[in-house]
Parts: sequence; C-alpha cells; structure tokens
Amino acid sequence: MVEGLNSPNIHTPKTLSEYGNIMLHNTNTSLWAGGTYIMTRPDVYPSRATGTDNIIYLGEIEELHRFQRNDRVAEFGAMVPLYQMATSGKGVLPKILVSNIESIGCSIITRRATIGGALCTPDMTTSIPGTLIALSSNVEMKIVKKKRLHSRWAPISRLVDKNGRFQLPPKALLSRVRIAINQPSYQKFFCTKDFMSKPEDSVAIAFVADWEQDILQNARLVITLPKSGICFSRDIDNIFTALRFPLEDSEYDSIYNVLFAFISSSFQISPLQKAIIRSFVGTVVEELNRKALTMPISEN
Amino acid sequence: MKIECTIDGKRLSFSLNSNKPLSLVLQENCDYTTINAHCRGKNCGLCLVLLDNMPVLSCMVPAFEIHGKTITTFESFLRIKYFNRKLNDIEKAYEDLGIRPCDDCYTSRTILFDYLTDIIIAKNNEQPSFDSGAEPFNVESLVKEMSIIKCTCMDLHDVRQILNRIRIIREKRIGRRS
Repeated sequence: MVEGLNSPNIHTPKTLSEYGNIMLHNTNTSLWAGGTYIMTRPDVYPSRATGTDNIIYLGEIEELHRFQRNDRVAEFGAMVPLYQMATSGKGVLPKILVSNIESIGCSIITRRATIGGALCTPDMTTSIPGTLIALSSNVEMKIVKKKRLHSRWAPISRLVDKNGRFQLPPKALLSRVRIAINQPSYQKFFCTKDFMSKPEDSVAIAFVADWEQDILQNARLVITLPKSGICFSRDIDNIFTALRFPLEDSEYDSIYNVLFAFISSSFQISPLQKAIIRSFVGTVVEELNRKALTMPISEN
Repeated sequence: MKIECTIDGKRLSFSLNSNKPLSLVLQENCDYTTINAHCRGKNCGLCLVLLDNMPVLSCMVPAFEIHGKTITTFESFLRIKYFNRKLNDIEKAYEDLGIRPCDDCYTSRTILFDYLTDIIIAKNNEQPSFDSGAEPFNVESLVKEMSIIKCTCMDLHDVRQILNRIRIIREKRIGRRS
C-alpha cells in the first residue's frame, strides 16, 4: 500500500465555465474522461503516471453528455460513451462508424470508453479518429485564452500533425464531435482484433466512396497504425477517385505499389501490417469488380 | 483523498490515493479474497464487480470515481439474501449441466452470467411476442460479451447451455413467487 504518496487532486467541474476556472487557476493538469486508456497504462498506480498534480474529471459536466441530431448531422458531446453512440445512432450513423465501435470490444468496455477519450489518447492512436476522418467529421474545441473560454470548430483531419498524431492545441478541451449522417454508397471498415493489446502489428482501415455507375467518386482511405499514427492523403484518395471498374490485375498492382510507396515514405510499417493492408485493398477491389460485373445492363 | 462508498451493503469511508484502482482497494483496503487478480488494466476480466449494478472491470475504475457509489462484489452473492438466491440459480445450472468455471474465473463468470441472464429475461418480458426460447444475444454478440474474461476453461457451447439453463431456472423461480 502506498497511500498518501503522489495522490493527485481531483477536480470535478459541473459546467464548462467551472472547467475554465479550474484551468485558469491550476497548471499541470490532466483531463480524465472514461479512464479506459489511462487505467491500462502499466505505471498508472502508484507512480505519477498521469504526470500531473491535478486531474480534471470530465464525467460530471452535463454539456459533454448531450447528443442531438438533425437531418444532416449528429452531434455528440465528448463524454458520450461509445456504447450509447452505437445503440442510439445505429439507424442513422454511417455503418463503418457503428462497426468500428462494435469492433472495440464488449459492452463493459464500450460503456466506459467515451468518444472524446478515444480521440485524445496521448501516445497511441485508437481506430476511431481514422474512421471520423474518412467521414469528414468536425470537432468543437474549448480553448482557454486570455482568461476566457473560447469555442472553435475544426475538421478532424486538420488536427492531425505531420507525424500522424491527433493533436489538440495547448489548453484545449474537445467538447463536441459533429458527424454527417449521410451514408456513402460504398463503405468498408476493417480492424484487427487486438488493436489495443498488440499495437505493433495492428491496423485499422476505413474506406468510403460514392459509387456511381461503375465509377468511384469522392473516395477516402484512412489507415490507422496505432504506434505510428493516422495515414491519409489527398494523393491516396486521388488514386481511387474516378477509377472505372472492373480493374485488371495490373491496375490493382500499380494501385498497391503507389499506396505502399506513400505509406512507407512517412510511416514505419511491419510486414504483418503490410499484408493486412494488401488484403484489405484486394477485398475492396474484388467487391467493386463483382459489383460492376453484376450490374444490370441498362445501368452500364 | 477521503472516499465514501457502499461496498456489499456496508457504508465505508477510506482515505486513499485518488487514482488507486478499485481492484486494489478491494484487495488491500477491504481484504477481499474473491478478487484474485490485478492485471493492471490488461483486461484479464478476473476482477469483475458491479458498480451501481453495471458490470465493470475494477482494475479500470479509479478510486475517485467510486465516491458515493454502490459496489457489489461476489461477497454479496454469498451473504445478501437477494443475491444469494440468484447464486443458487446459477449453482443449480452448473450442477445440472455438470459444467463449472475454473477456480480462477468462477467469481467473474458467475457475476457475468447473472448480468446476462437478467438482460435476457428483461428482453423476453419487454417483447411478449418474442419466443422465450430464442436467444436475444446472437452468437457473435455473445462471443463479444464473454470475451471480457480471457480464461479459456469454457467454450461458447458451454456458455450458451449455462445461460439457457439459468434463464429457465430463474423464470421458474420468479413465476412461483408471483
């Protein structure tokens, strides 16, 4: 037992303005959402794993638990549990997001894990930001500046730094996530089972596109490597956009080569991750080839 | 940090490190022997408890989060009459089928079986047209729910048999009472 040693102070603000006050008067703070990531770190207790003297527990801020939707978008507070997102939004949210949440684990875990926490894990990337980037989602940040709490919306893709890590500005709190609820006509998600426990060999891939006649439009491919970061680029998207299916084997090989030349230039990737991505791209091409070849003649 | 909570029906007050995991609080501060693992958040699933009647892995719950809450461990199933009746149903199902979890995962699996059976019965009651013999959990979701316990002493077939048996026994008991 190590009672009394390194016990951080816990702040439990009830509103965002209370949160702003706490941030103004305390330095060296860390934010605590569901705790599913922090509590799995090997040195969380008894050491100073959180690296702070103050923990701000966000679970009691009512504004962060709200969610609402209209015809075009769904907005979730950062403290909405993933389980609640998947169950309440099953009919409206894009299918890849629901299957991403379901791939994370059983309800005991997803009831505690929150959308904000899944985006803001510090030294590892979860599979959620990649899927949200593919869906062109936005986030609202609350930033303490000049003794006031300012609000700013930004696309998630703009918050990914050059190393592929999701980074909020200093002293910022992610307060809401806005997700468009239109269903792209082709969407596919894949994630290895042990994404959190074996990050070196895990990979999550989200792919969305509009399928018009036999041509892909507005394609978006986002690959998440938990240790290295999130890999996406307009160059990759352009490879897939305006492709006419069915593809020949040689065309598939050239797509694959261009894709890997891009990923290898910026990220460290293990042979297993490479094999998984190759198999995913192969499956997508095969499915779209089949779709193109089985289309009624009048549509062709 | 001073923390007050109710553990197995007893109101307790502790002076604890605010980020101490609940699994260690139960082992070190309450001397509970039914929590036999602290995997440091590796999701072994052997430290399952009920926090305000919802199952949680106690190694993932920091001490500051239990302030003012009710924690139910396997000790409740042994001591409190309401839970003891539920344990009897589960024990009877184990006995009828001749299948038992191993000593390591017995407590966690029993709590999880109890929780899942309650969901199944609630779903059956919500939808009267729902065939009571049908399972509200499809195979895939059942595998996912049970995957929280990493112990390999039981396979999916055993789990489904046990859940079905507990449901029958519990529905009979509730039916007799009403």
